[in-house]
Amino acid sequence: MTTDEAVGEGSRARRLGGHLVLGVLSLLCAFPVYWLYATSLRAPEDVYSLSVLPWPLSTASYAEAFATSDVLGMLLNTGVVAVLSALGQLLIALLAAYAFAAWRFPFRRLLYLLFVGTWLVPFQATMLPNYVLLSRLGLLETLAGVIIPTLCSALGVLLLREHLNGFPKELLDAARMDGRSSWSTLWTVVVPALRPALAALGILLAITAWNEYFWPAMVLQRSNAVVQLGLRSFLGTEGNDWGPLMAMAGLACLPVFVLYLVLQRHIVNAFVRSGLK
Amino acid sequence: MTLVSRIQLRGLTRRFGAVTAVDDVWLDIADGEFLVLLGPSGCGKSTLLRMIAGLLPPTEGTLHLGDTDITHQPPQRRDLAMVFQSYALYPHLSVARNIGFPLRARKLPRAQIRAKVAAVAETLDLTALLDRKPRELSGGQRQRVALGRALVRDPGAFLMDEPLSNLDAKLRAGTRAEIAELHRRLGATMVYVTHDQVEAMTMATRIALLDQGRLEQLGTPAEVYDRPASVFAATFLGSPAMNVLDATVLTVDGTLSARAEDIDLPLGIDATMPDRPVRLGVRPEHLTIAPPGEPGIRAVVTGVENLGSEEVAQCRSGTARVAVRGTRPLGVRTGEALTLTARPEHLHLFDVGSGRRLTWQPGAVPAAV
Repeated sequence: MTTDEAVGEGSRARRLGGHLVLGVLSLLCAFPVYWLYATSLRAPEDVYSLSVLPWPLSTASYAEAFATSDVLGMLLNTGVVAVLSALGQLLIALLAAYAFAAWRFPFRRLLYLLFVGTWLVPFQATMLPNYVLLSRLGLLETLAGVIIPTLCSALGVLLLREHLNGFPKELLDAARMDGRSSWSTLWTVVVPALRPALAALGILLAITAWNEYFWPAMVLQRSNAVVQLGLRSFLGTEGNDWGPLMAMAGLACLPVFVLYLVLQRHIVNAFVRSGLK
Repeated sequence: MTLVSRIQLRGLTRRFGAVTAVDDVWLDIADGEFLVLLGPSGCGKSTLLRMIAGLLPPTEGTLHLGDTDITHQPPQRRDLAMVFQSYALYPHLSVARNIGFPLRARKLPRAQIRAKVAAVAETLDLTALLDRKPRELSGGQRQRVALGRALVRDPGAFLMDEPLSNLDAKLRAGTRAEIAELHRRLGATMVYVTHDQVEAMTMATRIALLDQGRLEQLGTPAEVYDRPASVFAATFLGSPAMNVLDATVLTVDGTLSARAEDIDLPLGIDATMPDRPVRLGVRPEHLTIAPPGEPGIRAVVTGVENLGSEEVAQCRSGTARVAVRGTRPLGVRTGEALTLTARPEHLHLFDVGSGRRLTWQPGAVPAAV
């Protein structure tokens, strides 16, 4: 009997084995997320229960989370921080990467290395100067204070420049011949072609900003303006309030899932294409 | 179209570090002309075209379009359209939007853009493809879209950078005819870069032959083929290339003759002059097989190539290779000894040192042109 399999594809048993390993691994990855939602849906007295299925279902933890803190306000604030920070980084990275990739100017390589080199400077080295600067500018305890120091992303410049280097230069020349200025070429030719890369980078930056804990904790100190800080209020010296904590953490995860689902096609595209280059 | 489309290159030079890619090129491209920049790869022809386009600033020299000095004008302000070797179609735009792109850049009203795109698509037989993306097109279709994008602007002149080199042989022949036809219909100035001598010979009104950044010869295809200005020009055009042999011009019985150990060809000039070593050129199709005992080039056939309608006999004369081309069958066999002859008007003489063409001027010794 013949099959359509490529030569040397191996036996059916080996393929089954491979799928089994992959299945177990994905279960391992998904389990903590499942446990988070399971715990958040248990009745308050069952929070420490080890049963796999949360039964009876209860929304009491969510009600308590909403009652004790301004969950929607925090989610909104975190959203603003994540979106503005990601968009700002994308814009600045796009302009810088375009300049580095498409223009010839003196000290181009040196400037690029310096730019990307800032990536190597650890956060711990810049957080105090940034903090002092924000304090002088009067931006402590504000969302602007959280966003502004994150706007310049060496990672973004690096990634976008690599993508732009693989971008056919003849397209840039063609746009110039067709009457576009450099600025207009960027928006009409380069950005549409870079859409997958921009989407992938955008989601990466937005999720990073969304999950950021330490920097907002420094800038916002006493207020619980973003959701990652809000989670603190359920952690206490007398014990943790697991039900509402898990409910809020579950809510904090939702936007990330949604973002991923919406942009997933672009992300997969971007990774596949960067592999083919 | 007005005289605005006349393009003048005045001493254009481009250096990249220590390398001179284009070296002091002077060209006056008349309105309505189809000028082909021809040369081997690396001869500077694309660099020259990019300087005309404004994509590359010249190191020295100036460029004029009509009466205007455009040396320092950015490409978007020059009234020139360019077709790229890779076609450079915008991958995210449909065919219609690719063709309309230059018009949108000029902020033309939408209705006008749509009408112009439709008209251009009609001439190039692209109407059925207007909604497709470039990746859904064949090579020939992409090439036509690239042409359409240039045509739609109604530019002062067209610049084309090896636009046919990515097409297969059959499509290339068809597109060659289409572009030549387009040139006749529009009467537009075209500057066309290629390394393909067939494209140059069939389409050009004039050929500018370039070698190592220098303008080697400028003339109509017939002039460049029939009276090559140098050994380089002689051997670049023609297939197989012109045979070039070392010989000496001698005076024999009051007439000039080219002689070497296996060569004895009368030049058909009644004169006397001191002996002079030369390089003797003769095209394969101008060589004929002489009856035994006649003067000519003595050679031995080393192989016969069948081209279908014609045959090429590869021969060896002393240490030199000589090709003979003629209607099939030539009637020669490998290993056969031949005497080859050519009419005096088909013999070309070149200077040994400079490689430049030598012409006979009565009353003087042969001098470089």
